[in-house]
Amino acid sequence: MGLSPQGRPRHATGLLAEVEAAVGAAGGWEAVDLIAVGLGPGTFTGLRVGIATARGLGASRGLPVRGVCTLDALAAGIGEAGDSSVPYPSQATKRNSRMVLPVLDGWRGEVFAALYAPGGERIWEPAVYRPEELAAQIAGLEAPPSVAGSGAVRFRHELARDGVPIPDDSDPVHRVAARHVCALAAVAGEEADGLAPIYLRPPDAERWRERDASQRAK
Amino acid sequence: MLLAIETSCDDTCAAVLDGARILSNVISSQAAAHEGFGGVVPEVAARHHLELATPVVEAALAEAGVTLDEIEAVAATAGPGLIGALLVGISTAKGIAAARRLPFVPVDHLQGHVAANFLEPEPLEPPFLCLIASGGHTMLAGVRDHEGYELLGQTLDDAAGEAFDKSARLLGLGYPGGPPIQREAEGGDPEAFEMPVAMTRNPGLDFSFSGLKTAVLYRCRELGPEGVQERRADLAASFQAAVVGQLTAKLKRALKKGDWGAVALGGGVAANGPLREAVGVLCEEMGVRLKLVPIALCTDNAAMIGSAARYAEPIAYPDYLGYDAFASGETSAAVPH
Ligand SMILES: [Zn+2]
Repeated sequence: MGLSPQGRPRHATGLLAEVEAAVGAAGGWEAVDLIAVGLGPGTFTGLRVGIATARGLGASRGLPVRGVCTLDALAAGIGEAGDSSVPYPSQATKRNSRMVLPVLDGWRGEVFAALYAPGGERIWEPAVYRPEELAAQIAGLEAPPSVAGSGAVRFRHELARDGVPIPDDSDPVHRVAARHVCALAAVAGEEADGLAPIYLRPPDAERWRERDASQRAK
Repeated sequence: MLLAIETSCDDTCAAVLDGARILSNVISSQAAAHEGFGGVVPEVAARHHLELATPVVEAALAEAGVTLDEIEAVAATAGPGLIGALLVGISTAKGIAAARRLPFVPVDHLQGHVAANFLEPEPLEPPFLCLIASGGHTMLAGVRDHEGYELLGQTLDDAAGEAFDKSARLLGLGYPGGPPIQREAEGGDPEAFEMPVAMTRNPGLDFSFSGLKTAVLYRCRELGPEGVQERRADLAASFQAAVVGQLTAKLKRALKKGDWGAVALGGGVAANGPLREAVGVLCEEMGVRLKLVPIALCTDNAAMIGSAARYAEPIAYPDYLGYDAFASGETSAAVPH
């Protein structure tokens, strides 16, 4: 079972009902032996609702809770879809032969992204980019990667250059699936990252304080 | 037995109650995290709550010597407060309750401050007047039963504790502002500077503290940095006397208006020594009983939320799965009558 705390704070109202439905479909809590949760990046509040809910459920059932980077989960989905989702078959080579670049909408005109080798290992750590900045990074790669995710949909115009294929907006490959969060958590083992959210951005007030401090130093 | 969680501002709290008896009341303060900002930063608070919520719940259970098997309901502050902070407590509480099919009890934070007085030992029975003053709220509540209160007066601008924090900042003292101002004021003359004891000419029971903060700002400007340093004790004493003066003046007016047998104090500002003394003198003069709960029950805590939950409407599983928080300024069905 997995929780993918993507998106807006309205997940405070929708998440737990979906969890209960999924648990019910699996045969009840007795059938669950691990709780997996997406750690982000995502909206600050959405991440916290997901992680706090998962920890509450875990404490309640005495179950371990394991966190998974949301970009890892999205990359797993893109890799699984392989080149079948690439709209230009002429460019398609065999499944999983491309690097994978999951791109999440980071709001404020920015995206969250990480790059993975065809085998799944991370090449670029999760980071915040301006779309044109990410496009320039992509242009520096030897071959265009498989790109998908909410950020790829929103910034299609900026990112789909130099032959970088991005599947149709309606393609399910753009969405993070809780089953990928589960699958990754199941193989992650005990040494997994813990449950700290992957915020990638400091709180705004901290940025102001840094700015104030640097101005005072001048 | 009842488990309660409170995360509306900058303290992460959990408590276990057996009826009106407190089995544990764990408070993890984040004040140090906010010190550099001179006030509570909502995003910083929410991040800390997430780290602390589950460990604080586990500490509360351990300290009470109970397991979740003995817990019959889970309560949490639903508002008002910082929305991101509230959601951490509510999500945790709902998660714990849902996986055990327990009822969930959303609690109004201010009703929690009132209900702190119903806790053992020596619970105070209604009717009584309750003055609640903290960094987030300042209000005068008329309490006639366990379930709710009548809002008799509230601040029209800053909360009393906010005035302490802002003035402490102007005086170069630490955050939160209450304790350092009280310490500094001990060596000062409360009549050294004229401060507006606002709203005393206003016939109602509402409060106002923004003029007081502005007065401190002007005195500081007139004195200059060196002058402030020299007269800091007098400034702190004059400011504190004005806050205490306004709070007690309104309390006295409310006591004259109604037939109240007792007065209770709540909120972080209720920890202020001179306020406790002044209210004590007033109660003696008016012939009413003064109930002072321990300071750990004045400042934000989860035992008071559990106490309010005992008289609130529990929501049965699964009707609360979609329950949302309500932030400051919003209203909800859970608001007391
Ligand atoms: Zn409070």
